[in-house]
Amino acid sequence: MKKKYGIGKYILTVVLLILFIVPFYLMVINSFKTTQQFVDSPFSLPNGIDFKNYVDAFKKMNFMGAFTNSLIIMVVSVILIIFSSSMAAYFLVRHKWKINKIIFAILVASMIVPFQAVMIPLVSIYGNLDLMNSKWVLMFMYMGFGQAFAIFIFHGFIKNIPLEMEEAALIDGCNKMQSFFRIVFPLLKPVIITVLILDVLWIWNDYLLPSLVLLSPAERTLPLSTYNFFNSYSVDFAPLMAGIVLTILPVLIVYLFCQKHIVKGVVQGAIK
Amino acid sequence: MAKVCLKNIRKVYDKGIVAVDDFNLEINDKEFVVLVGPSGCGKSTTLRMIAGLEEISGGELYIGEKLVNSVAPKDRDIAMVFQNYALYPHMTVYENMAFALKLRKQKKAEIDKKVREAAEILNITDLLQRKPKALSGGQRQRVAIGRAIVRNPQVFLMDEPLSNLDAKLRNMMRAEIIKLRQRINTTFVYVTHDQIEAMTLGDRIVIMKDGIIQQIGTPQEVFESPANIFVAGFIGSPQMNFFDARLECSGGFYEVLIGNTAIRLAESIQKKLKEKGQEPKNIIVGIRPEHILMAKKDEPGALPAEVDVSEMMGSEIYLHAKVARKDCVVRISTSNIAIESNEWFASGSRIDLVFSSQHMHLFDAESEKNLLT
Repeated sequence: MKKKYGIGKYILTVVLLILFIVPFYLMVINSFKTTQQFVDSPFSLPNGIDFKNYVDAFKKMNFMGAFTNSLIIMVVSVILIIFSSSMAAYFLVRHKWKINKIIFAILVASMIVPFQAVMIPLVSIYGNLDLMNSKWVLMFMYMGFGQAFAIFIFHGFIKNIPLEMEEAALIDGCNKMQSFFRIVFPLLKPVIITVLILDVLWIWNDYLLPSLVLLSPAERTLPLSTYNFFNSYSVDFAPLMAGIVLTILPVLIVYLFCQKHIVKGVVQGAIK
Repeated sequence: MAKVCLKNIRKVYDKGIVAVDDFNLEINDKEFVVLVGPSGCGKSTTLRMIAGLEEISGGELYIGEKLVNSVAPKDRDIAMVFQNYALYPHMTVYENMAFALKLRKQKKAEIDKKVREAAEILNITDLLQRKPKALSGGQRQRVAIGRAIVRNPQVFLMDEPLSNLDAKLRNMMRAEIIKLRQRINTTFVYVTHDQIEAMTLGDRIVIMKDGIIQQIGTPQEVFESPANIFVAGFIGSPQMNFFDARLECSGGFYEVLIGNTAIRLAESIQKKLKEKGQEPKNIIVGIRPEHILMAKKDEPGALPAEVDVSEMMGSEIYLHAKVARKDCVVRISTSNIAIESNEWFASGSRIDLVFSSQHMHLFDAESEKNLLT
């Protein structure tokens, strides 16, 4: 019985693996073909390894510029989210005021509002204020949209940190700010890693919000730059595939190098 | 080293809940004072007000000569040991102990010297590079104490530091604290709900109930002359037995009537009552289990009792019996009796007991205050 269950689980894992890996496989093999070959037989292997599509994509996407934009936006936004939301969550947990409970409830409730519902008013308000087309405004928006989830996660964790530890720090000579940054913040490491991973993936891969805010080509992020392969009446599929590979490559490399820490962080975050 | 003075200290929480009321206490320099009482009596709140972790709603708190009501905890020159140790888990033992000194921007060599000295005193030198999670409860408690003593504070505050330890370790650490106190010789304020800790550690004990001080005195004073029924019942283990009685005066002599049995009071008590001109009245008689004896045959003042259960504790037996329709505990030393002939310990057996009259405590039935103090 146990063995049967084991085999079933194994088959299910393999099926899921195939399901997840097929899009990647298609993307990689087609990035070495011409667009014609891609249209004719998308599932066949390429005739050879030719990096022409990558060179074209690199140029057409303005890869270095888009990569720099993506990197700045992601790093700054994630830092802003982590610092602001951990501090906000700390404040909400440690000050048991009625208003704080209401704020927390509103924050949690806001998580179920889909982005598409606020998209139009957002563009309208920021457009009227003439604040569009700036990556700094985009980072500010990411900070806002990232708050609810991050505060929710930090809130649950901070609740379990004994207050006595901070009180000991106050007696040892810390002020409130020092007790947060020297005692509480280091203890948040497992959740910081969890929030970091989720937000990095979200911001790096996000297409919709940057497409609304970043109008000039010079400000575009990597996912937005793949739009350069869409012509008026046709799509350059083969270079597009190479472009997408280039887009996901940085995150993939980071993941491969930090896999151990990331898994540890997620697991720790789950336990405590 | 400094004295601590609490004048009319009051703590009121939201919704008007009074946690501590009219608390007056002067703790002398290098004195060890223990605040003791049941849960919710306000002892920890008082300690936290001294530490600056709770705002003082009313009254004045002085450390040394300085009024510190609105001084931040870090500027009060105090150190505190918490019940759950409150060690910083991301720091090693060394870093935990050095943290306060680093914040005070002391020199590295000086910090190192102080940390190693404290570690030496507490016998934790070989643990300095470990993280708190790799330590046992007793070791963590030592580190928490170490973290406090490196600071060489004016006042040492301890909030139930032994509560999280098992019984054996608690006894050991209690002895360690006595030794530590002799060694560092500073002012201590110690909070506990354990009366044994209070009796063994304190120079003076402050017994609290519902935010109000019931009695302040040396361990001997509170044991021998409890101010009221609460103190009498709280201090001493097993606790004092209480009986409803009537204080009578006949022929110039005071006696108490428990049930139908009249007990003539001892000379010392007679004298005190006469000095006070005490009128006959309903009272509550308190007697400690060790002051109830087995009656000799036809002994006057003997009270009939029925044994419920007996607990053999090794060197003594706790006899639970019913006397004058009240539950009562009698403590009998096994060295004074022949164990083989202990048929009268059996459940349901009838025995006669006498109260040692010079050890009786008389409390007013209404105010519950001691009539002899």
